[in-house]
Amino acid sequence: MTTLLKPHIGMRLPELALPLTRKLIIMGAAATRDWQPQHHDPAWAKEAGLPDIIMNNYTQAGLISRFVTDWSGPMGRIGRLRFAMRRPICPGGTATFNGMVVDVTAEQQAMIWAEIDIEIMVEKKTVTTATVKMALPATARSPSPWHCPAVKWHP
Amino acid sequence: MNDLPQKVKDWLGKPVIIVDHVVTVEQGLWTNFCVAVGDGNPLYWDYPLSRDETESVIAPPMMLPSWAIEHDWSPDRAAPSLRTLELHFMVKDALGIKNGLVTEVELELHEPLRHGDSVRAEQILRRVEEERETKLGIGRNWDIDVVYRKPDGSLAGIQSLHFLGYGKVAA
Repeated sequence: MTTLLKPHIGMRLPELALPLTRKLIIMGAAATRDWQPQHHDPAWAKEAGLPDIIMNNYTQAGLISRFVTDWSGPMGRIGRLRFAMRRPICPGGTATFNGMVVDVTAEQQAMIWAEIDIEIMVEKKTVTTATVKMALPATARSPSPWHCPAVKWHP
Repeated sequence: MNDLPQKVKDWLGKPVIIVDHVVTVEQGLWTNFCVAVGDGNPLYWDYPLSRDETESVIAPPMMLPSWAIEHDWSPDRAAPSLRTLELHFMVKDALGIKNGLVTEVELELHEPLRHGDSVRAEQILRRVEEERETKLGIGRNWDIDVVYRKPDGSLAGIQSLHFLGYGKVAA
């Protein structure tokens, strides 16, 4: 049984530090079936004015999702993710993920919605900012948000 | 937007590219994604736990767009595969722009996908901004939405993408 998470405004998520390897960027692109050359071909990327190959947006979304559900556990159901890629994420250095709960709604359909702001930094520079809207059970007796009927799911 | 080519104007607001069930959702493929990003969420891995939560293991929701990308090669296909977000490349090419990047993404997630599912994806051009000076040279921004539906027509999700195109193709 998963422990019920009770988010509150100002609650911080555990920091995640992730080495940015060439393998991570290429493996993420391949696993998301994205064969655009800027994600695996350094010469092509440099010709396009980029410093090196860059992490694709699908991999970034996957890492943000992992960061949030590592904290929430499997009952956390993401309804909406919005992110802005401010600088390219290239091989080298470490990406640091930080997040904080900025809003929590009242109970709706036995769920609460937590809004989480996230910042990914590499070498003290912000590379990506994101906001996640996640549903969680309102109480220990509430059904999991994954059981919410489609007609009542309004992310 | 008076400076837009007529064909780009014609693409605005309606599905231009439809990718119709080109890949089957498979656990082996989504496991590669979980391995790449180090995601141990048991809903993607653990049958007993996912039975309680989601009836069966589900594909990571952030992989939704990946299920609408054609296989890069197929034995019975004469033409090249559609590029990832083909409409984006059509816009870029029609505007004579050399390079394009995704700068902002929004994913609205609905019904999760399971092993054996597939999606129909409709790519819709929403907006093209005026040409301007960007950090990477003369360029433009444009917005594309992609609506993903399961075979039964239920909504799997909506992806909204904001692009930056820069650099002119040499005449």
